[in-house]
Amino acid sequence: MTAIDVSPAALAQQGDLRRKRFLKMGLIWALVLVFIGWCVQGTIIEDTDWSRIGGRNGILASVGRYFSLDLGLLPELVIPTLETFMMACVGTVLGCFFSLPVAWLGAANVTPSKAILYPVGRFLMVLSRSVHEIVWALIFVSAVGLGALPGILAIAMRSVGFISKITAEAIENIDAKPVEAIRAVGGNQFQVMYYGILPQIYPVVLATVIFEWDINIRRSAVMGLVGAGGLGLLFFRQMNSFNYSGVSMVIVAILLLILLGEVISHYLRKAVI
Amino acid sequence: MAVLTVKDLKVRYSAKGPEILKGIDFEVQDDDFLAIIGPSGAGKSTLIRCVNRLVEPTAGSIRLLGEDVCSLNAKALRNLRRNVGMIFQEFNLINRMSVMDNVLSGRLGYTGNIRSFFRAFPQDDVKQALYYLDRVGLSDHINKRADELSGGQRQRVGIARALMQRPKLLLLDEPTSALDPKISREVMALIRDIARELKVPALCNIHDVQLAKEFCNRIIGLQDGYKKFDGATETMRDADLDVIYEMEVL
Amino acid sequence: MTEQTTTPDTIGAADAPKWSRYKYPESLYKHGTLLLILLFLGYSLHFLNVDIGLLIGALGRFAGVVSDRYYPPDLEYVLDWGYLASILDTLQMSFLGGFAGVCLAIPLAWFSAWNVSPNRRVLFPLGRLGVISCRAIHETIWTILFVSVLGFGMLAGVSALTMFCIGFAGKLFADEIEAIDMGPVEAMRAAGASSFQVFLFAVVPQVRVAFTGIAIYTWDVAFRAATVVGFFGGGGMGWYLKRNVQQLENLRVAAIILSIIVMVLIAEFLSGWLRAAVNRAK
Repeated sequence: MTAIDVSPAALAQQGDLRRKRFLKMGLIWALVLVFIGWCVQGTIIEDTDWSRIGGRNGILASVGRYFSLDLGLLPELVIPTLETFMMACVGTVLGCFFSLPVAWLGAANVTPSKAILYPVGRFLMVLSRSVHEIVWALIFVSAVGLGALPGILAIAMRSVGFISKITAEAIENIDAKPVEAIRAVGGNQFQVMYYGILPQIYPVVLATVIFEWDINIRRSAVMGLVGAGGLGLLFFRQMNSFNYSGVSMVIVAILLLILLGEVISHYLRKAVI
Repeated sequence: MAVLTVKDLKVRYSAKGPEILKGIDFEVQDDDFLAIIGPSGAGKSTLIRCVNRLVEPTAGSIRLLGEDVCSLNAKALRNLRRNVGMIFQEFNLINRMSVMDNVLSGRLGYTGNIRSFFRAFPQDDVKQALYYLDRVGLSDHINKRADELSGGQRQRVGIARALMQRPKLLLLDEPTSALDPKISREVMALIRDIARELKVPALCNIHDVQLAKEFCNRIIGLQDGYKKFDGATETMRDADLDVIYEMEVL
Repeated sequence: MTEQTTTPDTIGAADAPKWSRYKYPESLYKHGTLLLILLFLGYSLHFLNVDIGLLIGALGRFAGVVSDRYYPPDLEYVLDWGYLASILDTLQMSFLGGFAGVCLAIPLAWFSAWNVSPNRRVLFPLGRLGVISCRAIHETIWTILFVSVLGFGMLAGVSALTMFCIGFAGKLFADEIEAIDMGPVEAMRAAGASSFQVFLFAVVPQVRVAFTGIAIYTWDVAFRAATVVGFFGGGGMGWYLKRNVQQLENLRVAAIILSIIVMVLIAEFLSGWLRAAVNRAK
């Protein structure tokens, strides 16, 4: 520790520094607040039809409609819930299959061509994550028609980005020593990957896939909103027929399904690691 | 008869990088247990990796088992590599696989893709693996994962894996430097005994001169990419060591 | 190659030890589980009425559809002022939603971090429940719910994004708080500080930089979500997307999707740069 300089000049300098820092932080916050105010003005105050909302009582009344459960919907819930769950599972597995080649292209140390295919792999990763699952679903609905298939494909495409990114990073961080050993015994390219690389990355990849599966249940539950079946479709129908207690029922089903997913993924992750 | 002949070997890792090996010549006879000694950074590891082309030589020629290593295509190189057993400084095991699978992976050069996908090695390979695991004293650890073993045990797995190749030459890259002195001596003795038993010549990087003198019949001294000594162990004098290690006389 | 062997071939002896990869019952359980999972997936395909032929050809079909119907994108449409203004709306919505979400997420994260929670009986489960329920419900469902209460428009979109951001940031914040060094917390407690003072003086200084990074990341993710809330009546770009999807104006849809991708890439780049700057400045 250096001795503390308590001369008046040094103290003044300290004070100056402090004031400067306060000024800087104050300026940043002021800017942020002005900016937020502008956003509020543009998006909320001008864009909202306040008479439609109808004051506090109106809001309370429209929120209140949701506070009941339509238990009569119970038998209709079973199959969509199952569909949602299955769509998430199949979509995740399909996403893993798509991720393999993408991760292979996008991992700097194993990519077959650093100049052309590596950027292609990286671009596919970004593309997959930057397009929202609803948009993916819309595209696939128009490509393969209504039904569970576009939902599965949308979930798969949306999962590719994250899974392949983490996998590529895991491949880039592997320990080169086992790889060298497999090359030294005369192993070919496939054997080097299967024995040298795969055992090192699979815990990370599996944990990522389980994580993504958990999220995919959430995504799967809304695929029906654009015509891909499952709980989303039921939600949409209840909403369109103004059966608000039915809507609440569907939401409860979604919550329970997601809770189940969390519990399963918690135990799966423990089993993997 | 010379199993391995190296002539004027030069290596640099990148076009502008420093030259690691600056023209090395030597031969390995079929009854040799040859040690390469030298200070760290002398190029020992690079030299030994050139023999099976884990490192690409820049210039010079290497003849191994009657073939010109440098001119082989990928397939022929793999065929040659499976005749050369390699034992590594840090064992280079596949940590998450069992001891048995690690040993069996020594046969990968002889195993097709489909068999290797299912890890379905032929029964003969399994028998051989059991024999070598017994030989290196690991019969009790066959089904353990490789990362559950101690350092000395892991190196024994490495030895068994190299033997599975039925090698015609053993390359040993600092096989003992990650081990403590007592285990080092045991491991070196094991390798020497097996090499004698199977009549396999060995080429061994080693930084411990005592171990080299004790176990090897010939010694090559390397310093800064040049060969400074080459001769039978008995002919090496302390003066030669001073040259190799550039020791300053106090 | 066996005839050239240099090893003693005494290993074929009858008393040679046996080894098998398969062990009862571990291997049975392992392979049984695998088989069950495969069966479940196969049954799912059947149950969901998925046409396997269609699934296999899906990517090719996808490429065909894109080149037939979505090419060339109608770029003039997305350069129109009305649409450009909607991009600005989307940006504003994501800022507001992100800001409000982060502000609300901080107290919730404080409640739901076990190590510094002010009250483990009541506030901890409440905070957890708040964050989890915000997370569990997808942003599009939040949008639909808010639209049914507040009517079409950006207020509903901002509210939905706020809920989404509470769920997203709340969990990351709580994880961050639970990973702090407890030394300063104990020191503050020993000095007789209240829970709030402990949070302010022992927790906040430790997590400030991480929180800033998470907040920026939250905005990035909120922007991605904001591109579609309009599809369900929440305002912004998504509204144009919905209109053109319904009118089967595929070339315009292609242009809109392209613009979404470009904007998301810009947002991602910006957030990456900002986070790097925050980390440098710490």
